[in-house]
Amino acid sequence: MTGWIEALGHFLGRSAETTGYGLVLLCRTILNLPHLFTRRRMRDCLNLIFTYTLGSFTVTAVVALFTGMILALNGGDSLASLGQENLIGRIVAISMIREMGPFMTALILTASLGSGIAAEIGTMKVSEEIDALEIMSISPVKFLVLPRLIALTLVTPVMTIFAAFIGILGASIVAANNFGVTWIAFSNDALENLQLGDVQIGLIKSVVFGITIATVGSTQGLLTRGGATGVGEAARRAVVITFLLVIILGYYLSWWYLS
Amino acid sequence: MIQLENVTKVLSGRTILSNLSVTIEEGETLVLLGRSGTGKSVTLRHIVGLMQPDSGRVEVLGKSLTETSADQLAAVRSQVGYLFQDGALLNWLSIAENVALPLLETHHLAKSEVDQRVKNALREVELDHHGDKLPGEISGGMRKRAGLARALVSQPKIVLHDEPTSGLDPISSSIINKLVNRLKSTGITQVMVTHDMNSAFEVADRIALLHDGQIHALENVDDFRDSADPAVRQFLEGQISGPLSRGLLDGSSNDDDRNEVS
Ligand SMILES: Nc1ncnc2c1ncn2[C@@H]1O[C@H](COP(=O)(O)OP(=O)(O)OP(=O)(O)O)[C@@H](O)[C@H]1O
Ligand SMILES: [Mg+2]
Repeated sequence: MTGWIEALGHFLGRSAETTGYGLVLLCRTILNLPHLFTRRRMRDCLNLIFTYTLGSFTVTAVVALFTGMILALNGGDSLASLGQENLIGRIVAISMIREMGPFMTALILTASLGSGIAAEIGTMKVSEEIDALEIMSISPVKFLVLPRLIALTLVTPVMTIFAAFIGILGASIVAANNFGVTWIAFSNDALENLQLGDVQIGLIKSVVFGITIATVGSTQGLLTRGGATGVGEAARRAVVITFLLVIILGYYLSWWYLS
Repeated sequence: MIQLENVTKVLSGRTILSNLSVTIEEGETLVLLGRSGTGKSVTLRHIVGLMQPDSGRVEVLGKSLTETSADQLAAVRSQVGYLFQDGALLNWLSIAENVALPLLETHHLAKSEVDQRVKNALREVELDHHGDKLPGEISGGMRKRAGLARALVSQPKIVLHDEPTSGLDPISSSIINKLVNRLKSTGITQVMVTHDMNSAFEVADRIALLHDGQIHALENVDDFRDSADPAVRQFLEGQISGPLSRGLLDGSSNDDDRNEVS
């Protein structure tokens, strides 16, 4: 019984410590922002943007396409029973742009890039590379975290727009094939009902998610200890924590937007 | 030059260093010996401020590292080269880029100057033909030599070596020993942790034996070799039982072992 309480206390203490570390890391990275405008950091950043985009492009496209198709299939089915299948366009467009696009993209990028960042920095931690940087007076925040944070903050919204676009495309195919809604009718309904605010909240979410993925990944990487097992554990933890944060932050951002 | 005064360090509930004191003079090469896990790497980490003592003082180049600002620490570190046990190279940069890293990130030198210094550093460790390779494409011994080139490229006053010759073939070891001796002749202060006795006798001015969290013996090379101290004898002769086989670090204590030696 006391062992259980002790374990809980230990867990809470650790969580608070990690959260504090992550927030401090984020602030320090933001304070290091001026260092981005050097040729070397710019180059690192562009390399990462390129790698990240290439590395998540295919899976995002496939997942987005099928998500859009599933949305159209289910939405269309319910709407058809009311004779309202011409509303598919707006339903799919609004939900893809406001909710599903940012959310789905964040989950994909967490699994593929966030875990990668944690593993990469974690490996550097356990093989003393981070210590070596510190001795050379090269700040790991400036050298490692800053370019990753900036790259993900840019790549996530771009991939989100891409995912929403592909998802809507997939939905329009299902709408045409299964429910006889022409492409013109679909896009007219979508465009007439979509508001600028929907796009804005989608983009705001994706930027927040990008920052979250990079910060959690870097935090877990820098806090890694204990060899190869530690690296695996850091990657696993980065994914779990980012998933939770994306869901919770996503809910509050939607709530803020709607109220 | 380097001064540790009553340094105590507890890690994960175990006392690794307990009241350790040692002074390393300018231009001296001190070899630090000791069994695995006695805290040799931990001692080196204190000298560059990667670890702070729980109590005691560390002073390097006349500056205290125990109560210091980030800028002062950076100033001290810019004078120190550190060779990590496994080289600690960044695996996405080529060997030459790794060696150039401290120059490119913290010094403001012309590109030609950087290239020249990198070339010289790589030549010193006989890696001049491998500059374009990635760390994953060369052997462990070569990585270690590349790590040494990186430590030397910013022309430090102090060089700390953590097992520079472990895992190296005898020829590569000789290259390192020769280099350490050459650095010594230019007046650089060095601390070298090693398990390689040949190397220790070849490069050291003085040899220290770390045991039970303290400097157990600290002698000139010849005195160390002829020392009558049972711990030193056990270490040099590699006997299984003796004073080094027990103690606070294993958490075991075996008096029988101790009696056998004397
Ligand atoms: N960051 C750390 N946290 C907890 N314990 C540590 C840490 N660093 C080292 N230790 C422990 O301190 C002890 C001394 O470690 P150290 O690396 O200094 O040994 P060493 O003398 O260099 O050994 P070796 O010859 O094997 O390299 C070890 O038992 C190690 O487990
Ligand atoms: Mg060691």
